[in-house]
Amino acid sequence: MSPAAASWLRRFDLPIIAGLFLLLAWAFSLHRVTDFVIFCIFVLSYDLLYGYMGRLSFGHMLYLGTGAYAAALSGGWLGGNPLLALAAAAAAGALVGLLLGPITVRTTGACFALINLAFNQVGHFIALIALARWTGGEDGLSVTFRPVGPLDLGDRRTLFAFALAALLGAVWLMRRLTGSPFGILLRSIQQNETRVRFLGYDVFRAKLQAFVLSTSLAAFAGGLAIVNYSYVTPSFIDPTRNVEVVFATLIGGAGSVYGAVSGGLAYMLISNFLPSYIQRWEMFLGFALLFLVFRFRAGLWGFLLRWLGPRRTEQA
Amino acid sequence: MNALLEVDGIDVAYGRARVLHGVSLGVDTGERVFVVGRNGAGKTTLLKTIAGFLRPLAGSIRFDGHEISGRPPEEVAREGVRYVFQDKRVFTKLTVKENIEIAAHGAGVKLAVAIDRVAELHPPMTRFLDRMAGTLSGGQRQLLLLGRALLGEPRLLLVDEPTEGLSAGAIEEVFEVLERSKGRVAMIIVEQNLGVVRQLAHRVYAVKEGRIRSELRPAELRDQAALEHLL
Repeated sequence: MSPAAASWLRRFDLPIIAGLFLLLAWAFSLHRVTDFVIFCIFVLSYDLLYGYMGRLSFGHMLYLGTGAYAAALSGGWLGGNPLLALAAAAAAGALVGLLLGPITVRTTGACFALINLAFNQVGHFIALIALARWTGGEDGLSVTFRPVGPLDLGDRRTLFAFALAALLGAVWLMRRLTGSPFGILLRSIQQNETRVRFLGYDVFRAKLQAFVLSTSLAAFAGGLAIVNYSYVTPSFIDPTRNVEVVFATLIGGAGSVYGAVSGGLAYMLISNFLPSYIQRWEMFLGFALLFLVFRFRAGLWGFLLRWLGPRRTEQA
Repeated sequence: MNALLEVDGIDVAYGRARVLHGVSLGVDTGERVFVVGRNGAGKTTLLKTIAGFLRPLAGSIRFDGHEISGRPPEEVAREGVRYVFQDKRVFTKLTVKENIEIAAHGAGVKLAVAIDRVAELHPPMTRFLDRMAGTLSGGQRQLLLLGRALLGEPRLLLVDEPTEGLSAGAIEEVFEVLERSKGRVAMIIVEQNLGVVRQLAHRVYAVKEGRIRSELRPAELRDQAALEHLL
């Protein structure tokens, strides 16, 4: 992408994303599009780890689930205040990230992916069996959120606006972060961690900071999902669902904020509407992934950039 | 001159294979020391040990009076020691500007100042700032790496085979950068190109089979036969 196009995109990205989701909200149900928005926040959190730091995780549902349960439990304990529940969700995600991060970020490759999966399995067991008395086990837990002053997140339109504002905030934050020296540091770590150490950086600290930020944002998305659904079940922390966020990231294009949003949206559109037309729609996803791996490694966003790139050069 | 770096009797091994045996050397402030030797003699291992990548089994490494042996690379780097690797690997998926920025931020130098400093070493670099660093030639990569390493006024530069695999023109440019840094920063340079060694060295250590075999002073460097005998 040319510098001028990149600058234009940075200036108008938030209105474009907002406009896109408003259009979808007009076309489909608000509840469903709110779910799309929340999933995009989750994909953004995952992309920080995978796309920027180069750590493929098969256990990110643990952090979404942590936020979901934290929001549901604190929602009950704190009188149904959704804002406090969301704060508790993000804090719980950060806490779990701080506890597990010192173990996980020391690893790379398959080890990182599997160690996260292992923790996710443990988290799933805890939610399903060990703490079933509090989490409701397989039946889950319902929670009712009350309005906070004029902010009534029980109202579908208000919740959609709130979730969209959260997504725009997350996009802005990720864009700032990934374009900052910290973001460059993460991308350098992805390429060659040893060389980064020779530049004087404490890479462990940088990786831990990114990990905690990612788990916290994933947990916030989990909390927001509970505000949208008003109940939590073990499916929110189910390790088999990790494939969803991995697919979404690959579809959109890893290592790009816009790739994460477009991947999250594309995955939600496919998984929500394709089952109406194709019975075994997961098989379609499998073929789509094969196609992406062999033909469009940079994902939708990368393809779009490549498609726009030469044309712009020709015009210039 | 003051001794900036004192390596005293270090033994280094990869697993059970001992690579360095009681190696000792010293570098004074602003001095350019060359290490020569055949492939596998232990030259790169010596640099990696000083930089903190390898922990010596025995001996000590003192930098500016502080013991640094066994300390991690990031701590050694923060003391003012920079390492330019042999393979000329920049961060290929970052732009040239981002490559400079990551080093500048680590060294506490403002980006604009850092770009100016790198441009001083190699003015054409300003034209490539928005290019992916992976598209640079070998010579340009080496100049970028040297420019990055010199940010933040390091006191000791460890450079591993800076002219290896470069064209004659690129060698000349690298040579100029090293020459221009004379006196500003002490260097330990591993180099096989005797022409470069003769012109730039204040002192030469010859390493053979993991041991320092001989040390030459500047006056002795003019004798080509002596130098070639070392290798």
